[in-house]
Amino acid sequence: MIMTAIQVILFAGLIFISIYVYRRFRNAIVDAFIIIAFIAIGIILVLFPELTTRVAHALGVGRGADLIFYLSILFFFFIILKLYARIRRLEQSITKIIRENSIASSKKMKGDNIE
Amino acid sequence: MRNSDVYIIIPVFNEAQTIRSVIESLLPMGYKIVVVDDGSTDGTINSLDGFRLFYLRHEINLGQGAALQTGITYALMMNALVLVTFDGDGQHSAGDVDNLIKPLLLNEADVVLGSRFLPSAFTNISFFKKEAIRVARLMNFLFTGVWLSDAHNGLRAFNSKAAAALDLKENGMAHASEILFTIHQSRLRIREIPASIYYTKYSKGKGQSVLNSIKVFFDIVLNRIFE
Repeated sequence: MIMTAIQVILFAGLIFISIYVYRRFRNAIVDAFIIIAFIAIGIILVLFPELTTRVAHALGVGRGADLIFYLSILFFFFIILKLYARIRRLEQSITKIIRENSIASSKKMKGDNIE
Repeated sequence: MRNSDVYIIIPVFNEAQTIRSVIESLLPMGYKIVVVDDGSTDGTINSLDGFRLFYLRHEINLGQGAALQTGITYALMMNALVLVTFDGDGQHSAGDVDNLIKPLLLNEADVVLGSRFLPSAFTNISFFKKEAIRVARLMNFLFTGVWLSDAHNGLRAFNSKAAAALDLKENGMAHASEILFTIHQSRLRIREIPASIYYTKYSKGKGQSVLNSIKVFFDIVLNRIFE
C-alpha cells in the first residue's frame, strides 16, 4: 500500500503524539487506555480514509473530512471548557494560599494619629 | 458602637500617588483602616509611613475582588461590626462614610451601597461611562435579581452578618455582581444612599474602561456556568 503525502504527515503526527503521551503519562492507566483507543482509531482512519466517508454518509454528512471537522469543533470546545474550569480551580487555590499568607503576616502599622 | 468598630477596607494596587490623601481624609473619623496591597510594585507601602492602620499584602497581584475578600476576612477576624469598602484612588469622599453606615447602625439594612446617580450625589462621569453603567445595571438585574440605580460603585458598607455571607470567588472586577448575587441569595436587606464620585485624570486611568466591561460580562456568565 502506498501512502499519500497527507497520510504520511498525519501518521507521523500520531506516532509522535503517542510517544510523547507514553513518556508523560505512564502512570494513569485509564487515561492511557482512552488515549491508545483514540490513537488507534486515528491510525485506522488515516490508513483507510474511505471509512470516515461511509460513517459520514450514515450520519447525513457529505464528506468524511467534514464529519471529522464538525466533531473536532465539539471536542475542542469541550477541552477549552475543561481547561477553563481547571484554571479557575488553580486560581482559587492560589488565592487561598496568598490570602492566608497575607493575613498571617499582617502588619499593624503605628502612627501619630489619635484613635 | 464606636467608630473604632468600623473597619474601612481599602484595596490598593499601585496607588502610591493617591493613597496618602485617601487615608488622611479617613483617619480623623477614628475608623480602623485595613489596607490590602494587592501586589503593588510602586512602593505603595512607603506611602503609608506614619499612619496607624493594618497592612496586608498579597505576594502577587490577584485582582480587586480577591483583595476585598482578604480585607473582609481579616476585619471579621478582628471582630469588626461594620465593614466599609473604599477605593484607593481618591474617587470616593470620606464624608460619605457616615451616611453610608447610618442605616446599619439603625438596623434598617444589612448592606448599604453608594450610588452616584441618586439625587444630591455629585459625579463628573463621562457620557460613555454613564451609558455603560446603564447596561451594567440591567446585566446585574438579569443575573442577580437586584435592581439598583448604580453599578460597580466601590463604596459599600456591610454589617458583620452580611460580610460573613460574602465568599468572593471572582478575583477580578466581576466581584461587584457577585456581591449583589450574595445579597440576593442570603436575603440581605439592601439600601442605596447618594455618594459622590470624583473622577480625576488619575482615577480614570486606573479605573475600568468601557471595553473591559465586556470581559466582566463573560466572567459573570462563565461564573454562572461553573459554580
